[in-house]
Amino acid sequence: MLEYQNLFTRVQVRTVPEAGIPIEDSPGGRLGTGTFSYLAGKLGDAQIGPVYLGTAGTFSLLFGFLAFEIIGLNMWASVGWDPVEFIRQLPWLALEPPPPQYGLHVPPLQQGGWYLMAGFFLTVSILLWWLRVYRRATALNMGTHLPWAFASAIFLYSTFFFQPLLVGSWSEMVPFGLFPHLDWTSAFSIRYGNLYYNPFHALSIVFLYGSAVLFAMHGATILAVARLGGEREIEQITDRGTAAERSMLFWRWTMGFNATMESIHRWAWWFAVLTTFTGGIGILLTGTVVDNWYLWGVKHGLVSPYPAQNNLTAEQQELLRGRYQGTAPDSFPTYVAPQPAMMLDSTALMTPAHSLPADSTRVDSLATPVAATPAATTTPAAAGPAAAKPPAAPVGGKAP
Amino acid sequence: MSFLTPTRRRLVAAAIPLAMLSLGACGDAETDSVQVGYRGTAMEQNYDHGDLKAKFAQVKIPTPLPPAGASPPGPLPWQNVQVLNDISVGEFNRTMVAMSTWVAGTGNCAYCHNIANLASDTLPNGKPLYTKLVARRMLQMTRQINGQYSQHVKNTGVTCYTCHMGKPLPNGLWFYSNQTDYLRHYLDRDGARVITQQVTPTNMNRSSVKQTEWTYSLMMSQSRSLGVNCTYCHNSRQFASWKEAPPARVTAYHGILMLRDVNQNYLSPLQPVYPAVRLGAQGDAPKAQCVTCHNGAYKPLYGAQMVKDYPALWGRAEWNGVPFQGLGMPPADTATAATDSTAKLATPVQPPVKASSSATPATGAATVGAGNMNRP
Repeated sequence: MLEYQNLFTRVQVRTVPEAGIPIEDSPGGRLGTGTFSYLAGKLGDAQIGPVYLGTAGTFSLLFGFLAFEIIGLNMWASVGWDPVEFIRQLPWLALEPPPPQYGLHVPPLQQGGWYLMAGFFLTVSILLWWLRVYRRATALNMGTHLPWAFASAIFLYSTFFFQPLLVGSWSEMVPFGLFPHLDWTSAFSIRYGNLYYNPFHALSIVFLYGSAVLFAMHGATILAVARLGGEREIEQITDRGTAAERSMLFWRWTMGFNATMESIHRWAWWFAVLTTFTGGIGILLTGTVVDNWYLWGVKHGLVSPYPAQNNLTAEQQELLRGRYQGTAPDSFPTYVAPQPAMMLDSTALMTPAHSLPADSTRVDSLATPVAATPAATTTPAAAGPAAAKPPAAPVGGKAP
Repeated sequence: MSFLTPTRRRLVAAAIPLAMLSLGACGDAETDSVQVGYRGTAMEQNYDHGDLKAKFAQVKIPTPLPPAGASPPGPLPWQNVQVLNDISVGEFNRTMVAMSTWVAGTGNCAYCHNIANLASDTLPNGKPLYTKLVARRMLQMTRQINGQYSQHVKNTGVTCYTCHMGKPLPNGLWFYSNQTDYLRHYLDRDGARVITQQVTPTNMNRSSVKQTEWTYSLMMSQSRSLGVNCTYCHNSRQFASWKEAPPARVTAYHGILMLRDVNQNYLSPLQPVYPAVRLGAQGDAPKAQCVTCHNGAYKPLYGAQMVKDYPALWGRAEWNGVPFQGLGMPPADTATAATDSTAKLATPVQPPVKASSSATPATGAATVGAGNMNRP
């Protein structure tokens, strides 16, 4: 019995399922009377159900199913309705947004029309699920912290619709698919000059990692004082027992400052909510206000300057030859010896108009000996440095 | 769960982490990491030792044929020689023999020629010899690459063997399809660049995320083709920045230009020549990409300078600073001029092509920017 009353319990109670408190204003009833699952009891409470579905929940599932089917069937169609290929390639299959040429117009079904439809149904489904969460919270006379935290996540989700709207092309939206949506993330960051220099992206990461840290700190602290009754957090908010006292003392000893039994939950809530909220702001600013976050970082002193060129030491040059020194025809691996930093940074400088004819790839005139010889002999500026030393000698390679 | 007695359970619990640790021993995990940039910036190259050893062992370089001996002076005694008409008889025959090994893989002349009449472009039954027509264009392409794209092929150069490696069809040929949109950009778009050159958005750069993914695919195909990391050519904190990029990026940039030229002017126009079996699903000619020559190596054939033994493939008057002596008999005035100039260039004066390479990074960067601005 002592074991049962502690947080650490392996006892699973089997009795009449708990039906929950009666609620007057529910438009629908609860499904089932509840049942017990041994495996569920290993993770959480052993009781499953009763479930309240309601109008919003029903329609949410319906629209979610529609979106799921549209996405899945489009993916299946993309492999010619081959079931084996569908399973094999599933992580790489996608329902892609319309191609860029459609802008904000309505494309044909096969050209992203299905995508827009699936996106619409998925959004409706999510919003209805939010409504359901909100209604259930108020029905139980709870606060609405849960729906508002959920709303913050939905805000981030919605920016993937509003940002394409602001930059004027559906093609900017996130494809449905496992790897494709990750590829989109990568491409989005590259397109806008490295999202790591987006301060709101940085804030979002701070709150995301902060959430994980807070969750770990809180969970660890409560588990550590559970033997003293610390899992009864709610009582200890108003009536501090020895568990609360010790956990707070521990934090003050180790950090000099402590959360209270109540404030730790506010910290965690705000960290979680701000993760998606700041992230959403970062998305909305991208492509609308800032098009190259790296250059934005340069402008505002965020980018740390460092010697950019690969001025390799002699030791590094030896290393670059690797284990294949003398084996490969031209040694291995090769690397062109570092040249003085003379490259123009075209990300920061506009192209001077007169550089267009000086395309270094068009060596037609130079490669023709008739034209080239006078140039080499009569122009000292061109012939001088070239005669002195070839600019790019292979590192450690055999002399050509 | 009766089979899991406490003892067994403990054994299992001990075995799982051990198994996870020992998984690291699978495969040849020796990796060389070489720092190639400023410390702390993750500018490094990772070389999988075992993988590279196997790849390197696969590369077979044919022994160069003995140099051509003395040849009778005068123009080539054959009809219908359209490309190799500026070399001696001995060098011509030598090149033909080499090509048969490099491409046909059998050393047999009949892969490209009508044996009854070597000058003919058709078979005895009157059907066109598409292999000969293609080979002729490929010779022009090889000369173009060796002569005009020294920014990419440097002093290594290319021969038929660089891509063909003894097989009629090189690796990595590609055709139009919805899977090769990114490769099509070699032909259709004039720039892989998608990143804006200033902080705020403008209408000068309307590149989409989709285009970025194509560029990304192009870059990944380059990375795989060369067996190198992104940081071989880029500082990944700003892919667009030339200032922070390693010099290898300039070489790669000229490689893209070279491929565009090769695909647009040499490979695609051969479409009417090919039989249907050689064409893609959309009826287009086979085209080249980075892997076609590179085959997973940072330099094709790990930098073997095969072409230096085959002056017929140079297509320009000097090579490696060494005067081109391949013109046994100058038949025309252009060849005369070439011979004259080689005499002058025999002095230590660097060839003008080399001189221009010192300005490469700047102009290369400028060209990229210009391409981007010109794009609608």
